[in-house]
Amino acid sequence: MSDPSQEPQKFEPRIVAFLCKWCSSAGSDLAGVSRLQYSPNATPITIPCSGSVSPLYILSAFNKGADGVLVSGCHPGDCHYMEGNYLARRKLYLVKELLQFVGLEPDRFRMSWVSAAEGAKFAQVVDGFVKDIRTLGPQNRLRR
Amino acid sequence: MVNPKEIRDYAAGLLEQGRVKSVIGYRRGTAGCFAEPCTLTEPGEAGSLVWDPTCLNNLALYLVKDRKQQAASRTPDRRPIGIVAKGCDSRAVAVLLQENYFKREEVVVIGVSCEGTGVVDPRKLKNSLKGRSALKVEFGGGESIRITTRAGESELPAREVLADRCLECREATPKLHDVLFGESLAERGYDAPFRAVKAAEATSGEARWATWQHHFDRCLRCFACRSVCPLCYCPECVVDSTSFVITPQTSAEEKANRIRWCERSANTAESALYHLTRAIHLAGRCVDCGECERVCPVNIPLRLLNTKLEMEAFEQFDYQAGRDYDRPALISSFRDEDPNSFIR
Ligand code: SF4
Ligand code: SF4
Repeated sequence: MSDPSQEPQKFEPRIVAFLCKWCSSAGSDLAGVSRLQYSPNATPITIPCSGSVSPLYILSAFNKGADGVLVSGCHPGDCHYMEGNYLARRKLYLVKELLQFVGLEPDRFRMSWVSAAEGAKFAQVVDGFVKDIRTLGPQNRLRR
Repeated sequence: MVNPKEIRDYAAGLLEQGRVKSVIGYRRGTAGCFAEPCTLTEPGEAGSLVWDPTCLNNLALYLVKDRKQQAASRTPDRRPIGIVAKGCDSRAVAVLLQENYFKREEVVVIGVSCEGTGVVDPRKLKNSLKGRSALKVEFGGGESIRITTRAGESELPAREVLADRCLECREATPKLHDVLFGESLAERGYDAPFRAVKAAEATSGEARWATWQHHFDRCLRCFACRSVCPLCYCPECVVDSTSFVITPQTSAEEKANRIRWCERSANTAESALYHLTRAIHLAGRCVDCGECERVCPVNIPLRLLNTKLEMEAFEQFDYQAGRDYDRPALISSFRDEDPNSFIR
């Protein structure tokens, strides 16, 4: 992928955020309509359920240059499909462990539970993530 | 110790009674002293079966190959197949059963126990013989391996020449079997399970990345590791665009628009994507037969990636591939007490 931002300029983290459409996506919407100020570095991708996130989405995002990947779904017990988030939790735990095992910085992959009513929490999760990634710098290990 | 004659007689019996269409086992190979996989169809051929520490291959792979052949055949032969299975081979059969790849009555598992030892690692054997070649490698009883070279017979402690996976093996006796030859030993005095993974984890993230970057960079993307794995049976592989099915009806547009998650170019990033995907696709399925690592032409320690996830499955989710084949698969089940603290 060609990257026009090669010149020495301030590093702006690029974060891919997979947001469940039943909760976190609506939560990000709420953050917006409540006029909360938070980092614009996360690119949201709405997904039907956190359980529908294939590990390949995450690996592929890193491969294509993401500095951080966030997956956000409904709190345990609140899944629209009853158990999608429990399945996601187990699956993505393994992905997280594997990424750390080959030596990707632990802070580059994050998961959160954000409900549709938690606009403020969403803003806080993104801000915190962007701050951590800023300290880490660009992700060069898995990118092509 | 297992007497190969018993295996031969049993296999011949199966074929004679017509209970199976063939028996998959090991016979003396042509490459040095090592055994090779074989398929017997006549009772008279059973005499060629062997069982010794050179029976490296995971034979479950050939059950998968047969399935694929029958699926493509105009006159499929669905009669059961007999298979000689060590602990790891039998675990692979168990996972295939769990995934409904075939039915229990379609396979007759002739279990053989590795007892106090296992199979040798050809690289270790070569080193310990210092250039001489082995003519014969046999179980020495207990935890030793008897090796015959031109200079005569000698006994080596098994630890020196056993494959890494055998040193960490938790189940050297096939749990899933129709008949079992050899004793089942609960205690074997080698390494604790997951020793190698734990050692790798004790190093820093930087160091681990340096190691894996080096390995990913060396990968040739020959896909030998995928081809040899009994559980990598998908006809279309997501990391390999040449395996995507193309029929006469597939339009040029469809071909052009297929998502290629992973490019075939052998560079560090794509190979990393390949290996991480492979490891994840085998989470809760890999039975640690170590075949992928054995066949890798550039000696990439592939087992580590798989056993890392195997360890997590065991420690966090109390799940073992091949043991829990009557339970739902690792990734399609959950418990309330699964780790949650890593989520914000
Ligand atoms: S066998 Fe080795 S070189 Fe070949 S694709 Fe697998 S890891 Fe890469
Ligand atoms: S991934 Fe390797 S060790 Fe695991 S089942 Fe496949 S070939 Fe065996």
